[in-house]
Amino acid sequence: MLQETEAIASSEKSSDGAPLIALRTVSRLYDDGAIAALTDVELEIQAGDSVAIVGASGSGKSSLVNLLCGIDYPSSGSVRWEGEPVRRQADWAKLRRTQIGIVFQEFNLIPTLTALENVELALFGCGLSTVRRQTRAAILLGRVGLEARMHNPVTTLSGGERQRVAIARAIANEPRMLLADEPTGNLDSTNALLVADLLFKLHADANVTIVLVTHDEALAARCNRIVRIKDGRIVETVDSAMVAPSIVGEAAS
Amino acid sequence: MNLAGLARRNLGRRPVRTCLSILGIGLAVGSALALMSLSHSIQDGMREGINEMGDDLVVMQKGASDIFGGFIPDKTIERVAGLPGVARASGELFMFAPSADDKSVLAQGWADTSYLWKKVPLREGRVPAAGEHNVAVLGDAAAAALGKKLGDDVVILGQKFKIIGIANYTTAVNRGVALLPLADLQKISHRPEQVTMVHLNVERSAAPVELKHVKNAIELLGDLSASTANEMLDQDRNFAILDAVSLAISIIAIIMGAIYVLNALVMATQERTREIGIFTAIGWSQERIMASIVVEGILMCVIGCVLGLALSFLAALAFPYIPAIGHLVSFRPSVRLIALVLMAAFVLCVLGALFPAWRAVRMLPAEALRRL
Repeated sequence: MLQETEAIASSEKSSDGAPLIALRTVSRLYDDGAIAALTDVELEIQAGDSVAIVGASGSGKSSLVNLLCGIDYPSSGSVRWEGEPVRRQADWAKLRRTQIGIVFQEFNLIPTLTALENVELALFGCGLSTVRRQTRAAILLGRVGLEARMHNPVTTLSGGERQRVAIARAIANEPRMLLADEPTGNLDSTNALLVADLLFKLHADANVTIVLVTHDEALAARCNRIVRIKDGRIVETVDSAMVAPSIVGEAAS
Repeated sequence: MNLAGLARRNLGRRPVRTCLSILGIGLAVGSALALMSLSHSIQDGMREGINEMGDDLVVMQKGASDIFGGFIPDKTIERVAGLPGVARASGELFMFAPSADDKSVLAQGWADTSYLWKKVPLREGRVPAAGEHNVAVLGDAAAAALGKKLGDDVVILGQKFKIIGIANYTTAVNRGVALLPLADLQKISHRPEQVTMVHLNVERSAAPVELKHVKNAIELLGDLSASTANEMLDQDRNFAILDAVSLAISIIAIIMGAIYVLNALVMATQERTREIGIFTAIGWSQERIMASIVVEGILMCVIGCVLGLALSFLAALAFPYIPAIGHLVSFRPSVRLIALVLMAAFVLCVLGALFPAWRAVRMLPAEALRRL
């Protein structure tokens, strides 16, 4: 286990029982307030939870995810990690390095590097030697079924393979929370299922908290909780048990 | 892979731009080094030349701006020679004098009774006899530069002189001189009964107290200053100006080199804004991202400095062809000078890389990730 991870991940949950991450009356405005991407959002995500954020394009899903991982900042309100507000970019960087993994729809891999090197990048700053970084990156790529292609430049990989590299990179530091923004959006149905299975396996095996942004109701139904967002406001939060059995069945198939 | 490896990959993505930037740094470092070496070479050459004459002190007109600038009456030499503690003294008229084909020589005129004639290391021929006129002894480099040999005539300041000796001095300045009878040089340069300096040996040269007494005694004669070769050159305004000019041009050159780095990295970071967003998203700290960009600058700088060093040695091959002074200078950059130039280039390149690095991490990661 990595030193920094050990230091921060000492407890599954803070002693006062605060949620893993929470948004408190968060708004995000653009263009000097002319555009409100999010308005007064309240959201709590517990450790070990799996949450789907669904909504139409432009509803504010990605803005919400950006705030949850600190790559964007709220115009008002606060984002709290285990009850503590996180404001400084350095603190967010440390959280992303040790506690939060992100998977993007567009993969966001460095095109000039190999699959192995892309995963290795996430291990910089964790106190590992180059050899140990490479070894760990190779193990991670093995876990996502890419051991045979780890030395290939990512530009030569298929969409599904690239997304698996991105997942390997996101879990490199054994994060407690995995944010996936439309992770299957650019994939064909076979690869989409493969990637979704991989994410839910991580959730099941390692109790990783998953926050999934998706258009796909069937995929959303595989999460414990579904948060619906419309025009920058959370309009509904439901347990997936309440979702129509036909959708759950479709997702499982 | 480490930061240097990542930097190498990134530089390799734009090979033409990287090569041009490195060439820019190389030219900046090379020209700065060559220029400053040239300036120091002229000073050092002059210093060594005076030391080769074996002087303890050099007497010049008080307030003379440079080695060619002061004038002392002939009769003062006798007064200096007669001071207590002075072993011997010899006047010298010293100037750059045009010869044929637009070439110049360092002309030195000595009285026929001067002890300096006896110290000339002749390779061939002889020194002028007492009362002999219109004859010259050339340093071997001057003879080679003018294409002259023993027995030939050489024209200096429009007057023809017969070459009766070739001297074999070891220093670049003395190898480039034309030694003439003082009276002849005074006549053709219209400086009758004048010298520019007095070479002087004291009786007990090793004793600093003795040197100081003699210096004081000389200065009491009025309108004269006595100094060692080092002191004299340190006070020389021509050299001070030369140093200042070469330093200024060198600084400008190196700043231009740093601007090449700045430009290359500003463009590179703009093109890679999205990638910088990715680094942030996977948890790289601002410091680490900045370091990765600065390492690119350092890598370019290091290669550029090596190239510059090589270019400066290549440029030195052209030194002998510099008009008028080519045969007087040599390229001998000191370790200190090389270290100074490389250090300046390094610091400026790092500063040049810091700006785009700082600019890159200022952007919101989410904003950076939206860039194409």
